[in-house]
Amino acid sequence: MIEPYVEPAAPGVDRGLTNASELAADKLVVRFQGLAAISDVSLKVQRHEVFGLIGPNGAGKTTLVNCLTGFQRPTEGRIILGGGDTAGWSASRFREQGVARTFQAGRLFKDMTVMENVEVTAAGLGASLRSARKHAKAMLGWIGLADKAALHAGALAYTDQRRLGIARALVLSPAFILLDEPAAGMSDAECEDLMELVASIPRTFTCGVLLIEHNMRVVMGISQRIHVLDGGRTIAEGTPDEIQRHEAVLAAYLGMEA
Amino acid sequence: MGHFLLRHQTPMLLAVLLVLIAGATSLSSNEALQVTLTEMFIRVIVVVGLYVFIGNSGIISFGHIGFMCIGAYAAAWATAEPSFKQIMLSGLPAFLQEHQYPFLVATAGALLLAMAVAFVLGLAIMRLSGTAASIATFAFLIIVNSVYSNWDSLTAGVSSIIGIPTVVGSFTAYAFAALAILVAYLFQISRFGLMLRASRDDEVAARASAVKIMRVRLAAFVLSAGLVGIGGGLYAQFLGILTVDPFYLNLSFITIAMLVVGGMASLSGAVVGVVAVTAIVEILRLFERGVPIGGASLGLPQGSQEIGLGIVMALILIFRPNGLSRGREFAHFAGAPLPAPSTAAPVAPPASAPAARPEGIPITDERKAIV
Repeated sequence: MIEPYVEPAAPGVDRGLTNASELAADKLVVRFQGLAAISDVSLKVQRHEVFGLIGPNGAGKTTLVNCLTGFQRPTEGRIILGGGDTAGWSASRFREQGVARTFQAGRLFKDMTVMENVEVTAAGLGASLRSARKHAKAMLGWIGLADKAALHAGALAYTDQRRLGIARALVLSPAFILLDEPAAGMSDAECEDLMELVASIPRTFTCGVLLIEHNMRVVMGISQRIHVLDGGRTIAEGTPDEIQRHEAVLAAYLGMEA
Repeated sequence: MGHFLLRHQTPMLLAVLLVLIAGATSLSSNEALQVTLTEMFIRVIVVVGLYVFIGNSGIISFGHIGFMCIGAYAAAWATAEPSFKQIMLSGLPAFLQEHQYPFLVATAGALLLAMAVAFVLGLAIMRLSGTAASIATFAFLIIVNSVYSNWDSLTAGVSSIIGIPTVVGSFTAYAFAALAILVAYLFQISRFGLMLRASRDDEVAARASAVKIMRVRLAAFVLSAGLVGIGGGLYAQFLGILTVDPFYLNLSFITIAMLVVGGMASLSGAVVGVVAVTAIVEILRLFERGVPIGGASLGLPQGSQEIGLGIVMALILIFRPNGLSRGREFAHFAGAPLPAPSTAAPVAPPASAPAARPEGIPITDERKAIV
């Protein structure tokens, strides 16, 4: 059961463009030394939805997320947040303006406590230490890590590390959160718990979710729309039903797993 | 109030540790020991300054002794005899050449000049990461050394600046060492300290957490240069005679060694490292001079001090890769910020810790719960 989230007051914190209703990639191209990782991809993530991004290994999913969060400069095309161009923004600027992300490898601050991991983001967004602690506490309570707040992040169990990564990104309610395979390596039961949590994010935080996930059943279950990449190109976008019946998708992706 | 003191006991315990050492040495009326003590306190300032940047950012700086040099000369310019300055330092501006400023003004000058240089340098270097940044700081050390050795009209070149009032004794040095510890501690527990340590653990993730890495690094760099600059200013006013020579490779390596031996991930480590290395060096020096045993005198050959220090340091690092403090902070009194019940068990103090350390101070950690 996912609990309601009560956000503490946040004086002095600049929420940036947290009223942006849409995060979009427009005709995005990324080339690494001439080799195209992303070719002409356009997509729009809405504030109220879970948007699934799938594709076989090497399809360019993570590169796309890197572009959408300022970690990778597009070779061509634009990233548009709430109608405004984001050219030249740094990764920290993206987070300030309300675009948060998690990492496939977790990338927790391993030598810091669970609490401090979450406090860092609040502090980065301009909160005082006292206010950062309040937000971290509320967020850890919501995500179910309150009793582990004082532990070393590196000492957490694997699934808890994944939750902490999400908590760290979600603190001070961003407008969008991009989750890069949050359930990788989890058992089916663990995965289901986590996906229940992910599915509740748009309602609870008014925060759009872009979800990269390998487990097709999971993605189909919680996404409102799904975008399929293969070899850096868009091969389909639509509702889960449409994607499941899409021929190119079946050939490129589902066919391999079946 | 009690809770507040418990929470912030680390800097106080460190200050008390230094007082105890001072007390122990004052039992002997040996004058050389008093000189060693003052020098040790000055090194505490310098190494704590190093820690503010290196410990929190994870970037090794080989250039901080350059800031010590800058601070020392700033203090010398302010306090040396005007008659000397007018002849030997003809390039100094009139307000420095014609006047002799009091201790605090000179020390503030050392602080500000070091910070100003660090700010300009930091704007360039803090864009770099890891090894590249370390090499750049090393280049800075070489530049400072060359400039101060050759700018005859300001630094008297390779000859000395004399006539600096020697107003710094062990008490003054101690007061500043305690102040440096307090400043470093306040930085460590501040928002900036938190964000900087996050960037040390994972730079990429810190950027995703909206941390402006260059800005927090620059803040730490400037603050740490200021502390090291004060150390230099005090050193000049302790020696009374100043040359460029001491502010180079030897001192750079010994101060970094102190930080590494103590454990560079904690403030306690920085302080303990200075005390431990100083103790080792003094003991070896004693043996070099010869210790009377029975009728004969047992003496080690010249140079065994350096060799011995190298061996002891290697041993410490083999058996305690994270330094004597194991990267944790001192916390003696219960009710201290113990992160979790499982971390409450006190860890025995390091066996190889300096003799002057009070027995039975367990080390726990407020930042790094070991679970």
